[in-house]
Amino acid sequence: MSRTRRDPRTERALHLVAGTARPRLDRAAAPAAASPTGRPRRDPRAEVDSALVPGPARRRLDRTLRQTGLTGQTGHIVHLIEPEIALTAPPRIVVVEEPAFLVAAVPDAPGGRLTAHDRQVLGAARLLAEGGGAVVALPGGPVEELGGAGADRSQVLAGESEFDPEGRAAALAAALRRLKVRHAVFPETAEGGDLARRVAAALGEPLFAAAESLTARAVTRAARGRRVEQRATPPRLVSLTADAVAAYAGAPREAREINALGEVAAVPRAIVSARVVPADPATVPLSEAEFVVSAGNGITDFERFRALVAALRATPGASRVVCDAGLMPRAAQVGASGTVLDATCYFALGIAGAPQHLQGVARCEHVVAVNTDLHAAMIERAGLAIVADAQEVMPALLAALQAEETRE
Amino acid sequence: MKITVLLSAGRHPVSARPCPPAVELQALRLASGLAADITGLHAGPSADGVADALGHGLSTLNLLTIKGDSDPLVSLAATLKATTPDLILAGRQAQGGEDSGLLPYALARELGLPILADVVRIDAGGEGLLAVEQVLPRGARRRVVLRLPALLTVHPAAPAPLPFTFAAARRGKITQLQGVDSQPPSAAPEERPYRKRPKLIAKSAAGASAADRLKAATEAAAGGGRLLVNPAPAEAAREIITHLREIGVLRR
Repeated sequence: MSRTRRDPRTERALHLVAGTARPRLDRAAAPAAASPTGRPRRDPRAEVDSALVPGPARRRLDRTLRQTGLTGQTGHIVHLIEPEIALTAPPRIVVVEEPAFLVAAVPDAPGGRLTAHDRQVLGAARLLAEGGGAVVALPGGPVEELGGAGADRSQVLAGESEFDPEGRAAALAAALRRLKVRHAVFPETAEGGDLARRVAAALGEPLFAAAESLTARAVTRAARGRRVEQRATPPRLVSLTADAVAAYAGAPREAREINALGEVAAVPRAIVSARVVPADPATVPLSEAEFVVSAGNGITDFERFRALVAALRATPGASRVVCDAGLMPRAAQVGASGTVLDATCYFALGIAGAPQHLQGVARCEHVVAVNTDLHAAMIERAGLAIVADAQEVMPALLAALQAEETRE
Repeated sequence: MKITVLLSAGRHPVSARPCPPAVELQALRLASGLAADITGLHAGPSADGVADALGHGLSTLNLLTIKGDSDPLVSLAATLKATTPDLILAGRQAQGGEDSGLLPYALARELGLPILADVVRIDAGGEGLLAVEQVLPRGARRRVVLRLPALLTVHPAAPAPLPFTFAAARRGKITQLQGVDSQPPSAAPEERPYRKRPKLIAKSAAGASAADRLKAATEAAAGGGRLLVNPAPAEAAREIITHLREIGVLRR
């Protein structure tokens, strides 16, 4: 009863060809607003045609439109995808020429790459800079993609050696003094939190440590053994916990390099030597591992799988099916009922990707998948997806890694 | 070697009874492994809770009595300037006050000492030197050699505290000293009962179905990767290795 009533007269009028004295109708040309709701009408046949995967004798459909590269010749898919590409014009870079004030963000950026937490810190700085301010990113080394994360200005402030927290804190304190920043936001991580406290001590200012929510008007944090919530207007120095503020999602900014080097006070350095001992990937807990190689139902040769994990210097993981079968220890299970990973890269061998498994991989930055099923969810999730038998790819990988080692 | 361990009046995370925070007892254990003269130091109105540290391997506790709301930094700095210990150990974050973890840094600044955070192991490293192991994220460690005197903060991953012994707690001495009362640190922020805030989750359209929300939670933020269909195993291996190198997880 709630369906809108058709109006044949209007529908007919939409087909009218303009410019002729005699009324002429073009029934072939489907007008844009032909449907009563104003939405263009779906053409299921064309959609099915466009999703057809060429090649195998059996009819297969790929609804995800991942086949673009493969079906470049078929007309429909190009037609379906091109308008979107045409609509997304290259994004304009936002420029703040004369900022009213500055807000500093100090990302950790380990290895020159922004972490999700770093992006949230830049997002928080962007929030505090609303109303004519500019965000200055002050990383400890060269970092790409600062503009995309919301930085208007940037300046690298490094210590004298690879591990020189005293020198870096002194340089940072001097830069904050020189730039007269209104706020400075740090990530509450081991490195960022340490730096924030060093800078606060050097400047003799209070630090609003481990803020759990942040807006331009108020920040909150837990205190007195997490029994009390402190609330204040954002002070000058704030350190931010993970997942408290969303990352910047607007148009990219310029991240123009500026000179923010202030007059650094001489700091007494007490560190004689420092050496990083990397974690042993074979023994590191799965939740802390950086690179996880995981086996699923598509793997039968577990000796070879273990050899591959060792050759890649990764931490072994497994799907629920494999753990249930007793082929891998329960501690290696990845997913909702196993471990939720925080890895940089997840390499899935023979895993289709049940939703519960994908939840365990949700926070991984990169996913590589090898699976025989083109339509597996893991293939869809992966940054590099290979439709092949994992049992055959494993020896090839091992051989390639060994060949590289002998060459060196 | 003279070691001073800074103690705070914490509360038990479950029962809320006064007790020293676990990480400060772990600092005590690290200190007792160095065969040194260890003193505990606390600035506060009373020794409630802190006195329990005497049962975990501490023999002497110096208590600087100050008012409940005054800044402990002044009293601690004055005492430590007078006693000049070789090594000062503190927990990663004291409890009972602001819990910001800033005090060790401010103290190090006041005393002109170097500070190193998140230590899990301390060894004597020769004349006037100390070899310590610092915790890094993702299970890595950093071995640092530094000059004494220094201030170190201890990480919860350090060895567990020594077990509590009642007799040792009875034997331990508490020396009461008059601290310096000072103004409260700064304009006190507004306080209210703690409320857990929701963490950010992957965004999904408002009013979307459960399937959409699950999809948003499980799908990658940046979709649309490379897809290779039935490549030769050798080619697949090459592609994977190149990709892993680009990401930076496969080194050498």
